[in-house]
Amino acid sequence: MFLTNIAYAADHGHSAPLFHIGPLEVTSEITTMWAVMALILIVSFLGTRNMKRIPSGIQNVLEMGIEMYENFWTDILGKKRTRELMPFLATFFILILCSNYSGLLPLAGTLPGLKPPTSNVSTTAGLAIVVFFLVLYYNLKVQGPIGYIKHLIGPMPAISFLMLPLNIVEQFTRPLSLALRLYGSVYGEEMVVASLAALCPLVLPLTMQVMGILFGAIQAFVFTLLASIYLEEATAVHH
Amino acid sequence: MYLDINPSTVIFAIINFCILVVGLKVFLYKPVCNMLDSRKEEVANNLNSAEEAKLEAQKLKDEYAAQLQNARSEAQDIINQAAKIGEQTKADIVNEAREEAARLTAKAQADIAREKTEALNEIRNEIADLAVLAAAKVVGKTIDVADHQNMVNDFVKEVGEAK
Repeated sequence: MFLTNIAYAADHGHSAPLFHIGPLEVTSEITTMWAVMALILIVSFLGTRNMKRIPSGIQNVLEMGIEMYENFWTDILGKKRTRELMPFLATFFILILCSNYSGLLPLAGTLPGLKPPTSNVSTTAGLAIVVFFLVLYYNLKVQGPIGYIKHLIGPMPAISFLMLPLNIVEQFTRPLSLALRLYGSVYGEEMVVASLAALCPLVLPLTMQVMGILFGAIQAFVFTLLASIYLEEATAVHH
Repeated sequence: MYLDINPSTVIFAIINFCILVVGLKVFLYKPVCNMLDSRKEEVANNLNSAEEAKLEAQKLKDEYAAQLQNARSEAQDIINQAAKIGEQTKADIVNEAREEAARLTAKAQADIAREKTEALNEIRNEIADLAVLAAAKVVGKTIDVADHQNMVNDFVKEVGEAK
């Protein structure tokens, strides 16, 4: 019984497509992601639809959140770059946080169409690829192609034959680590919850789910923080 | 074990993320940032205008205090002047009254003197008449009234001078 449940949960780690849009498969992770996105957009729309000088309700919460983000990233990136990069960074955070928390919903992972998007390596890889291209774009934009190559060669030309491959590999390992860290953490937590639910479905999974509230926030924060540090490096003006 | 990457999911994740970035930019970051900025600006403006208003008020207050001081000293001047004028008027009135009194006294004395002279003359005439009458009675004949009157007048004059 226990083993079959584990196997079931593991099997659903990589879910089968629900339906197709053209050549693309739509999996439970993607439908959940759509629901999460819709929720985020609806809340944002409601909160900013009728903005008032003296905020109240959702507007107050949103303003506080945005201001908090802004203050936090201003410390890392400075005011100007924060304004430019915040849409990406804040979206990473909000999307990953809500995706992680979607795993706390009852039947998440077992109900078709409801599965935390971040528990699948394909989704986290997609997000990491966005980070990779953002970093690449800002590197090329701020430092120029030649400056970027110089940056990859490193400050000491004598050991560039060593540094260049290392630096190039680093450009790829960073997003890879982002994707795997997030996926592993969320997927692992889902697995533990599923295992505990198999042992005793009543109270036992709750302990892990409470931890999941904490882990979900931490993982979203770590992903965003690392992305912002990579982007900070990419947009730093070297003298 | 290998990682089972589903390319469709990867592509969807990227597309979803891009859609969400655009959507949140439109619905969340732009309006909220604009609101925060405009509010910040408004607060700064309010503080500046409050500072200006305070300075203005201080200026007005100083001005009014100066004006009040001026008004006070002016009032004091007016009071002093009025007191001086009052003093002057009092002295004038008193002097005038004194002069008037002196004039009246002099006039009264002159009147008295005149009356006295008149009365004396009248008495003199009366006495002369009486003397003529008495003399006529005594002499038994009538003398010329005019001559007699002259005689009596001369006599009275002499008596008066002898006195």
